[in-house]
Order: sequence, then structure tokens, then C-alpha cells
Amino acid sequence: MSDEPAPPLAEAPYGPAPADPAPSAPPAGVQRQRLHPLTPLLESFRFLTAAVAAAGIQAFTSRNFLFAIYIALGAAVVGGIASLIALQYRGFVIWGRELHIYGGVFTRSHRTVPLDRLQSVDLARPIRARLFGLAQLNIEVAGGDGTDAKLAYLKADRALELRAELLAIAGRPAAAPQEPAGADEAVPERDAGLLVPQVTVKRLALASLLEALPVQITAVAVFGTAFAVTGSIFGFSTVATTLWVGFFAPALLGYLQSTVAMVNRFLRNGRFRIGRDGPNLLVQRGLTDTSHETVPVDRVTGVSFDEPVLWRSRRWRRVEVWTAAVAQQSASAVKSVTALPVGGPEEVAVVAAAAVPDLPSVFETARPPARARWRMPLRWKRTGAALTDRAFVVRHGLWVNTHVALPYARIQSVKVTQGRVQRMQGLATVRALAAGGLGHDAVALHRDAREAVAMAAELRERADAAAALERPRLS
Amino acid sequence: MSPKAIPVWDLWPGELTWQPMSPRLRTVWVLRSLINVFLLAVAAAVPLTIWLGWEGPLWALGGYAVLAGLRAWTVSRTVATWGFAEREEDLLVRHGLLTRRLSIVPYGRIQLIDLSAGPIERMFGLTTLQVRTAALGSTTEVPGLDPAAASALRDRLAVRAAEVREGL
Repeated sequence: MSDEPAPPLAEAPYGPAPADPAPSAPPAGVQRQRLHPLTPLLESFRFLTAAVAAAGIQAFTSRNFLFAIYIALGAAVVGGIASLIALQYRGFVIWGRELHIYGGVFTRSHRTVPLDRLQSVDLARPIRARLFGLAQLNIEVAGGDGTDAKLAYLKADRALELRAELLAIAGRPAAAPQEPAGADEAVPERDAGLLVPQVTVKRLALASLLEALPVQITAVAVFGTAFAVTGSIFGFSTVATTLWVGFFAPALLGYLQSTVAMVNRFLRNGRFRIGRDGPNLLVQRGLTDTSHETVPVDRVTGVSFDEPVLWRSRRWRRVEVWTAAVAQQSASAVKSVTALPVGGPEEVAVVAAAAVPDLPSVFETARPPARARWRMPLRWKRTGAALTDRAFVVRHGLWVNTHVALPYARIQSVKVTQGRVQRMQGLATVRALAAGGLGHDAVALHRDAREAVAMAAELRERADAAAALERPRLS
Repeated sequence: MSPKAIPVWDLWPGELTWQPMSPRLRTVWVLRSLINVFLLAVAAAVPLTIWLGWEGPLWALGGYAVLAGLRAWTVSRTVATWGFAEREEDLLVRHGLLTRRLSIVPYGRIQLIDLSAGPIERMFGLTTLQVRTAALGSTTEVPGLDPAAASALRDRLAVRAAEVREGL
């Protein structure tokens, strides 16, 4: 724009030339920093593996190796040229107190990230990037929508350098050298500075397995009996063909998917380390894809404790922390961050107290009245609500029993609803909403109507009392 | 009235002075439901005419009369359940005939206050006030206010929201 001769407009229509401090955009001539040349390749990694797989299948089935080679060559040439072109337009500049990120070939994009409002810079290393020693930076800013910028991919050491640089500009020097890569070297003192010892692979594997097992067993049992019953009625030979396609295959697919999800969760939570850094919780995790998250404690809106059925005898629980990034509009970003993938009672207590000060981890909840029992015969025993000192606690769920603790100071608004059947029974449901997305609220199901309304009134009072104690935070 | 039929909001511990909506709200909502049912009847009249000949529009008209009557009756009863109460620290809004709903919005958590008025509402001089907090899906509506009352309420809410500012 600015390298063209200026059109003959007024010389300086707005007064003196804009030579003020923070120039909004860097001049065109500024050298952009490039992303790593392998970036486009990694971004189309899935496409690439699909192409390779297709070529492989083609080669095996039709024995047409030449065709496979053509495909591979074509993909390589097209991909290479496209990535070379794309790279010309991508890059970033640190200009003053702003980070400018450029991208796009056909639709140019230019994102400005004000570093003053930097929330966190997280380093993530998906496995495809790790293969080449690369990393990506996820940059989160307070204010506005779509505020997460991504710089992918950079060399791992360059990414760390840049992270420190960005944090320094933001006025927050990188606290404690957190190098996810250093996790392997620092074995002797790997538990130093952590809230709880690193979760062992054995325990995590067992926990993942126990969590997935009931669902898988049920699925197999249901479809197995269905198959056997219909088979014994109609005879297996006819059934086998029709049912296999229409009925059993989807079940198998679901089973497979559940297995994949289990393995994924295991890989994601491997080498889980949670530590504390001033007002933040730092989470490092991942067996193949390492990632690195920062949770500001004063933004925690709720904590949930999950207890899958088969974990109960071992008294294991999982802790998740909800944080509301920003909520200027109704579209706010809410994240659930796993704060502990699996842990015994003591570890859970430590993590809960770190996420919300003085939050206990064991709660006594009162069940709904007995007349609500027929509405949820199995879940009734494991449903409840309680007003504790610090938080509103609700409990629900059969397969995975969850306790949700919403600190009083984080309750946004309270709702009481009473459906038509509930009205006949004198029951009502209380819902306490926290900042952020759907599903991030505490729901006390089927309370006695009088108790429900009293609970809502009490929640409001406690919320005001709790909020008055802390200084207002506007973002 | 059996004890179980008491609306949930009447169980509130402590005194509340519920303020009703403008009486014109009933007219507006009944009118709106009549128009909606009419559009439905027109849409139904076409296939009915093709199927039954000239009796079709008559059937559609009859159906319209019955449905519109029922709808108008429920709507006018629903309107009566709407109400709001301003307390020291929060705004209470109640509504619902079959499913009763009571929303409590603390002033300190209010993020946005919207005033809006549709064409029919404008014809009758009514305004809807919407209050949003940072929680998704927590938009609370107070329909059927006089424009003057609505802006007065908005100003009161805005002042209170600025006074008791609480974060997320």
C-alpha cells in the first residue's frame, strides 16, 4: 500500500503526520520472519498420508506400481510448488508492542496481536512436528473474539526463544524455564516443583482401560445378544449377511472409535505434569504430541471431579478445571483443562486446592427427595447437591459420576425451572451458570420446590458475599 | 389450589413485589399468535383446496378458528405469568405456564443491556429489554414494557451494574 505514490489527496487531513508512538502496522519493507519451510507439508499431513495410503492400496491391489509412483510424484511436485508459493506470503513481524501475523495466498490475512494484553503463550508439539523437531506457539490474548493466534511451525528452540521474547515484551518475563523437551533430560529432578508426582504410565494406562471398559463391554454385550437373538430366530446364514452390514458393522465401528478415543486420551495425558508458577498452573503433557498449557488460577470458574464406575474401588478421580478466557460477548471461549488425568484422594485434594484456594475435594451432597427416584432409578443414588463453604457442589452421572464445584464468586446467574411433571411432584431444578459456554454450569436436578427456591436465594446471597471479598476483575 | 400447584416463584423466602408487564402485552402477543396461526392456515389451505375442492378453504377457516382460539387462550394465560422484581442486588424474572422459569440476574454480572421493539410491539408502544451476563445462554428477557419504563429500568440497571461491578 504505502510503497505506491500517494494519491493526490490533502497532504495531512488529520493534522500532523502519524509519527506517534505505536504505529499500527509495520511499513511494508520490514523483513518478515519466515515460518519453517516444512510448514505446508505438515499442515497437509493428513492429506499426504491419505495420498500415500491411496497410492499404496492402488499399488497392492492392481499391481500397478507405475501409477503409484506417478501419484506420489504428482503430489510431491504440486505440493512443493504450492508450499513454496504459500510460504512467500506467510510470516510474522514483532513491531513495537505488537505481533503481526501474515498469511494467505488468495485471501490475504493480517492479524495484529497486541502484546500488552497477552494472556499466555503455549508451546505445542504435535507428533508430526516432533518428527522434524518443530513446534507451534499458541498465543492467547484477552479481549475480543477469536483471540487465539497460532504460529506454526517453528524450530523448537526458535519457538522457545520467541516465547520468551513475546513474554518479555508483554512485561512478563518467562517464569521458570519450562521446556517440554527438557522433560526427558531432567529425569533426576523431574518431580521438582510439581504439585503432584508425575502420573505413571502404568497407572494412566490402567485408568484409561478401566474407564473405557464398561462402555465397550456394554456395546459388545448389547450387539452380541441382538445378533444371537435375531440369529436364533431367523437362522444365522441369512442373518449373517444382512446384519453384518446393517447392524454389526456400525457397532464395530463405534467400538473401534471408542478404542481410538481411549488410546488418544492415553497418549494426550501421558507424562502429565502439573506445576505452579505464581498465579498460574502450568500443565505439560503428551506422550507423542506434547503440549503445554497455562491456567490462570483467578480465571478458574469451576472444577469438576470425574469418577468412572470402575475407578470407584480404587478411589481414583480425574480433575478438570474450567476457565473462562474472555466474555465480552455471549460467545466466550471456555476451556476445560485436565488438571489431573487420574489420581488418588491425596493428589486430587492437592490439585483441587491449587485450582481454587481452600476447595475441599470430598463433598457431602444431599440427594433429591425420594419421590424423584422413579425419574432416574439408577442415577438417583448418585445425584445430589450441596452448599459448601466455598462452592456450590452438584453431583450427577451414572457411568461417570461427576462432582462439579462452582465457587460462589464465579456464579453469574441462577435459574430455577420447573417442568410440568416436576410441578405435579413439587420438584424443581436449580441451575447456576458460570461464565462461558454451554454445559459449563452446575445443575441440581429435581430438588424439592421449596428447597430449590431457597437454594437459589441462598446462592445469590453467597455469591454476592464472595464477590465482595475479591477485587473486581473486568476481563 | 393444591399446595403443589403453587408456582415455584411464590415459594421465594422473603417478600418480593412482582411488577406485571404492560396490559397491552397481552394484545400484542395474542395478535402475534393469531397472525402466526393464520399463516399456517393459509399454508394448509392450498393442499386442502386441491384435495377437497371448494370445501378446502372452509376447513382451513374452521381449523384456524379452533386453533387460534386455543392459542389465544394459552397465550393470554401465559402473559399473566410474566413478571419481574427488582431487589437490592439482583433482578428476578419469572414466566411460564407449563414449565415455570425463574431467572435471577445479579446487577454486578450484567454485561449488556439491550432494548428492542418489533413492528407489532412498536404499534402498541412496547419495548423488550434483554439482559446478558457472561454465561452463554443466560439471556434474560423482560418483554412488554412502556418505552419510558424500559429506558428507566435500563438506566437503573446500568447504574447498579456500574456500582456493583463483579468479574467473571
